[in-house]
Amino acid sequence: MSVAAALPKRKRLSEGLTVTQKVFVRSRNGRASKIVREHYLRKDIPCLSRACDKCPEIVVPDAKSELPSFVLSESPLELPSIGKHYVVLDTNVILQAIDLLENPDCFSDVIVPQIVLEEVRNKSYPVYTRLRSLTKNSDDKKRFIVFHNEFNEFTFIDRLPEESINDRNDRAIRKACQWYGEHLEPYGIKIVLVTNDRLNRDAADKSKDSFISMSLFDYVQALPNGDEIKDSIPNFEVSSENTKDTEAKSEFTYPEYYSTSRIMGGLKNGALFQGNIQISEYNFLEGSINLPNFSKPVLIVGPKNLNRAFNGDQVVVELLPQSEWKAPSSIALDSEHFDVNDNADIDGDDDNSQVVLSDKQRKLLTQDAILAQKSNKVQPTARVVSITRRSWRQYVGQIAPNSVDAQNGGTQNVFVILMDKCLPKIRIRTRRAHELLSQRIVISVDSWPETHKYPLGHFVRNLGEVESVQAETEALLLEHDVEYRPFSKKVLECLPPEGHDWKAPETLDDASAVSKDPLLPKRRDLRDKLICSIDPPGCVDIDDALHAKKLPNGNWEVGVHIADVTHFVKPNTALDGEGASRGTSVYLVDKRIDMLPMLLGTDLCSLKPYVDRFAFSVLWELNENADIVNVDFAKSVIKSREAFSYEQAQLRIDDPNQQDELTHGMRALLKLSIKLKEKRINAGALNLASPEVKVHMDSETSDPNEVEIKKLLATNSLVEEFMLLANISVARKIYDSFPQTAMLRRHASPPSTNFELLNEMLQTRKGMSISLESSKALADSLDRCIDPKDPYFNTLVRIMSTRCMMAAQYFYSGAYSYSDFRHYGLAVDIYTHFTSPIRRYCDVVAHRQLAGAIGYEPLDLSHRDKNRMDMICKNINKKHRNAQFAGRASIEYYVGQVMRNNESVETGYVIKVLNNGIVVLVPKFGVEGLIRLENLTKDTGSASFDEVEFKLSFTQATTGKRRDVHVFEKVDVQVRSVLDQVTSKRKAELLLI
Amino acid sequence: MSRFEIYSPEGLRVDGRRWNELRRFDCSINTHSHAADGSSYLEQGNNKIITLVKGPKEPSLRSQMDPTKALLKVSVNITKFSKTERSKTSHKNERRVLEIQTALTRTFNKNVMLHIYPRTLIDIEIHVLQQDGGLVGTLINGITLALIDAGIAMFDYISGVSVGLYDTTPLLEVNSLEENVMSSVTLGVVGKTEKLSLLLVEDKIPLDRLESVLAIGIAGAHRVRELMDSELRKRAEKRVANSTN
Ligand SMILES: [Zn+2]
Repeated sequence: MSVAAALPKRKRLSEGLTVTQKVFVRSRNGRASKIVREHYLRKDIPCLSRACDKCPEIVVPDAKSELPSFVLSESPLELPSIGKHYVVLDTNVILQAIDLLENPDCFSDVIVPQIVLEEVRNKSYPVYTRLRSLTKNSDDKKRFIVFHNEFNEFTFIDRLPEESINDRNDRAIRKACQWYGEHLEPYGIKIVLVTNDRLNRDAADKSKDSFISMSLFDYVQALPNGDEIKDSIPNFEVSSENTKDTEAKSEFTYPEYYSTSRIMGGLKNGALFQGNIQISEYNFLEGSINLPNFSKPVLIVGPKNLNRAFNGDQVVVELLPQSEWKAPSSIALDSEHFDVNDNADIDGDDDNSQVVLSDKQRKLLTQDAILAQKSNKVQPTARVVSITRRSWRQYVGQIAPNSVDAQNGGTQNVFVILMDKCLPKIRIRTRRAHELLSQRIVISVDSWPETHKYPLGHFVRNLGEVESVQAETEALLLEHDVEYRPFSKKVLECLPPEGHDWKAPETLDDASAVSKDPLLPKRRDLRDKLICSIDPPGCVDIDDALHAKKLPNGNWEVGVHIADVTHFVKPNTALDGEGASRGTSVYLVDKRIDMLPMLLGTDLCSLKPYVDRFAFSVLWELNENADIVNVDFAKSVIKSREAFSYEQAQLRIDDPNQQDELTHGMRALLKLSIKLKEKRINAGALNLASPEVKVHMDSETSDPNEVEIKKLLATNSLVEEFMLLANISVARKIYDSFPQTAMLRRHASPPSTNFELLNEMLQTRKGMSISLESSKALADSLDRCIDPKDPYFNTLVRIMSTRCMMAAQYFYSGAYSYSDFRHYGLAVDIYTHFTSPIRRYCDVVAHRQLAGAIGYEPLDLSHRDKNRMDMICKNINKKHRNAQFAGRASIEYYVGQVMRNNESVETGYVIKVLNNGIVVLVPKFGVEGLIRLENLTKDTGSASFDEVEFKLSFTQATTGKRRDVHVFEKVDVQVRSVLDQVTSKRKAELLLI
Repeated sequence: MSRFEIYSPEGLRVDGRRWNELRRFDCSINTHSHAADGSSYLEQGNNKIITLVKGPKEPSLRSQMDPTKALLKVSVNITKFSKTERSKTSHKNERRVLEIQTALTRTFNKNVMLHIYPRTLIDIEIHVLQQDGGLVGTLINGITLALIDAGIAMFDYISGVSVGLYDTTPLLEVNSLEENVMSSVTLGVVGKTEKLSLLLVEDKIPLDRLESVLAIGIAGAHRVRELMDSELRKRAEKRVANSTN
C-alpha cells in the first residue's frame, strides 16, 4: 500500500470547513473494533495573541454571540537568552508540575495545545480540571489559553504509517509550535516548547528555526526568579538525566507491576480483583480492600504486598495462598516511628538480602502471624500487583530533622513526614533544608520507582512555623481538602448589586419589583405571622425560623421557615458552581469557612429579626398529638419578631409572667416537639453519642483556656424536631415529583459484623450485648447497657456504638430502591436535608427541587439529570466527610493547646486493648490516645496479651507490681501535651498511673 | 466519562464543528433505478443510508387496500454492521425500530398526497449501512429524496435534523458521541416554513430551553432543504440535457 493511500482522505466542504475521518482501533473485552469518526478541520481558530492583527478578522461568535477574547499579552516576558516569548507546554510537564504552573510568580502567556489537553484529561482528570481553571480564569495574570491544533486545518497532521500514537502526538505539538512561531514572527514573539521528553526536544531541535525547545529545569533556571522556584520542580529520579546523584540504586526493589494486558486478562477471568485500598489507622504497613463476593475485607500486609500503594489508591490485587492468610494485626505501627534512622540519601537497607522488612518490622509481623494462627479469625490476604489510579494530592508535613545533613548547605535529599500517619515519608530534594526545618510545608508526590524505598516528591510551599495557629489551621484545611481561599471576583459578581442595602419589596405586587422578579407575585406574604428563631448564642447565619398558631378547629398551624438561598444562588452561575464545589461550610474552633459569601450567609439570607426576608416555608396543620393533618409548601416573605438563643428561649417559655402570643406559640412548639420526639423514639430512633467538646477562648488573648462538654437544653430539641419534620415532609414531596433524581439522604443499617468486636467485649467483660435486630431493638439494648456504679459507662457504650454505625450519605433517588432510602438512625423511610441551605449544598438542591415540585419555577436540567446528580452527591458526600474531619482536627489542636497549659490527672476509659499497648479515651477533653507498652512497663518481654479476655498484663514501671488492664476499665491517666520530636506534632500524651 | 471535551469552552465540539454547523451532507438520487421506482443514497455525517420507494403499486394483501387513498408503509432495516460493534441479533423487531417506523409513517402520511393514489401501496424501504447519531433526521431526508425521485406528489420537502442540548447550548446535528451524553430532539420541518411535521424528544428538555433548540433546528433543517434542493435541481438539469440531446 502506498503512503498516500494509507492516509484518510480530506474533503473540502463549504464555509471554510474540511472533513476527514479519524480511524482508530479500540479494544474492549478483549475484542478489537475499528472506530471511524468524522473530524472537521477549520480555518477560523485564532492564535489569541493581542499582538496579532490577522486573527481578529477570522473569529466567529459562539452560541451566546460572544467573540473569543484575545488573552496572550503583546509584550510577554522577555528573557536575555530567548527574548519575548510564549510558552507551549507538553503533557509530561503539566502532569508533573501543575503546582508550578499555578504559581503566580512564573508561567504567564502559556499555550496549551488541544492534543496536550486531551492527553492530560485521559491521564489525570483532577490535573485536567486544574489546568482548565487556569485557562478559564484569564484574570490578566496567568494568561493561559487552549489552542485547538487538532481542529485547525493548518496544524492538523495525519498519522504516518508505522508511526506510534505518541510519536504522532509529539509531532502534532511541534507542528503547533512551528505554526505559532511562524505566525507570530512579524511581531517579534518567540515560541518556547517546554517538555521533559528528550526525544521530543531532539526532534524539535532539528527544525530549530521556528521555535525553541527546553526542559522544564532549564527553562525555570533561565527565569529571573528561577532560584526561588527551583525547589518546586518535581522529582523524577528515573527520567531526570542531568542528575549528578551518586546515590547508588540499592539492591532494594519492590515487585514490578503487572503489564496492562495481564491485568485486563486477570480481571476478566477472575484471577485479579480491583478496589480501593484503605490503610489501617493504627498500622501503616497493613491495608485492607473491600471486594465484591468477599464478606470481610481482604488484608494486605507488609510493604512488599502493599507494593507502593497509598491510602485510597485504586489498585489491582492478587490473593495469596491460603497458608498466608491471617488476622488483622493487633499492634500499632505508624510510619513516623519507624526507620527514623534511614538516610534520605540511601535507599533500602544495608543488608543485601531480598527481604524488604527491617528487623524490627519483621519481628512485629512475625509475632502477629503467630497470634493469627492461634485464633480462628483468619482473613484472606492479598498483594498489590498494579495501581490503576493514584490518590496522590498535595500533602502537608514537615522535614524530619535527622534526615538533614547539617554540614551540607546546598541541595540535598531529605525526608518529609506527612501529617497523615497512614502514609509513608516522602523524599524530596531541596536547597532550603535548614530554613524549612520546623516549618509546616506542602509537598507534592511525583513518583515511586520500584528501586526506591520511599516515594519521591517536591516542595510546593511553606505554611509557616510549626504550632503557629495560622500554619496549623491552613495545614488542616489543606489536609482535608477544604477550599478556603477568598471568593473570586466572578463569584462575587453574582451577588445582588445592592449589597447590604438589599431589601425585600414592601408589597408583592409592586410593579417595579415585579418587573425585576416576575416570580414575586407567587410568594406568600407571611409577615403577619409571629415568627422567631432559636439558635446557639452568637449565631449570625440564621437559616431557620418557626411559628405556631392555634387554628379555630383546635389544631395548630406550624410553620418552619428556611432562608431562601436559591433566590440569590441561581443554577449555572459562578456562585452556584463555587457553592457546589465547596459543598458545605466548615466550622473550626476559631474560624468558619463559608460555602457562600458572607453577604448572603450573614445578611441577605439570614432570617434576622425585625427585617423582611425571603424564605421557603413548610406549613403544617398538626393536631394535638402532633400528627400531620395537612402540609403545604410556599416561597414566602417573613419578618422574624425575635432571635433567641437556646437559653433565652428556655427562660421565656419557663417564665409564667410572659403571656403574649409569641410566647404562647413557643410553648405550643415545645409541647408538640416533645410529642414528635416521643413518636420518633418509639419508632426506634437512636440516641447515639460522640465525645464532643467545646473549646472556650479567652476573649482578650483569644487563647484557648478551657474545654467543656456540650450541653443540651429542651429548646435544642424543639428546633431539632421541627427541622427533622420539615426535612421528612420535603423529602416526600420532591421524591413524588422527581422519582429519579430527588436529592435525599440515607443511613444504612449497620452490618452485624461491625458490632462483632464490641459485642464480644461487652459479653466477656460485662455480660451485656447489643441487639441488631432493628433500630428499635438497638436503641432499647443501648438503654440497658448500664453500670450502676458508673453513670458514664452508658455514654461510653454509645460512643463506641456510634463508631460501628454506617455513615449517612447523600444520594439521588434513582440510585437506590425505595426500601433502601431508609434513615436507620432517625427511623424514617425517607429523608433529606432542606433546613440549612446557607451552609450545605444538598439543601440548595432540595430547595430548587421543591420549587420545581410546587410549580414555582422550572427545575434546572442539572438537577434532573442522573449523571449530574451523581456527581453532585459524590462531591457533597466527600466534602461533608472532610468538613467533619477538619472540625475534629481543629478541636484536637486546640485541646492540645489547652492541655499544654494545664497538665493534669484525669479519668479515662480503656476502649481497645492491643498486643503492644492500650487505647484510652479521656471524656473531659474528648481525646483518646494510645499508651504504648514501652510506656507501661520497663520489661516489655514479660508482658502478655490475652485476646479472649481483652486483657494486657505487665509489670508496672513505677510500682514494680504486676498489673492487668481490661477493656472498659476506668483508669486514672496523666494527661499532658507533648511535642513529638520526630514529627513536631503536638498531641495528647497519656500515662497510666 | 468521555475521553474528549464534548463542548469546549472555546466553542468547539468533539468533532471540530461549532454549535450551529451541520455535518457533511452528500446525497444522490436514482441510485437503484432497476430495483425500485425511486431511490436515494444519502451520507449525512457518518450516517449512510439507502432508501428505496416502490409504488404506487397494487398491494399484495387486500387488507392493505384503501378505496380513498394510498397506504404508506415504511420499513427500516438497521444492518448488523451499522454500529462500531457488530450486533449479534437483527434489529428487525426492536421496539426502537418499530417506533421509528411509526414516527416516519405519521410524518409522511400528512405530506404525501395519498388521496390521488387510491387503492395503492407506497412501500418505503430503508437500509442503514452505517449510523453515527441523529439517525431519524437522516431517514427523513432519505425518504424525501427517494419519494421525489419516484415522482410521488408531495406538498413540500420534509427535511430532518437533530439538535442536542448541552447545558444551555443547543448543538445542531448531534453525532453518536454527543447523542450518548445529552438530551436531543429530532425535527421534521415542512419546506421553508416553520411548520413541524415531526418533533421527537429523547429524554427531557427543559421547556425554557426548547425555544432556542427549535430555532437552530429549524434553521438547520432549512439548510438541509437547500442542499437537497440543489442536488435535485442539478440532477434534473442533467436529465433535461440528456433528453434534449
Ligand atoms: Zn493570529
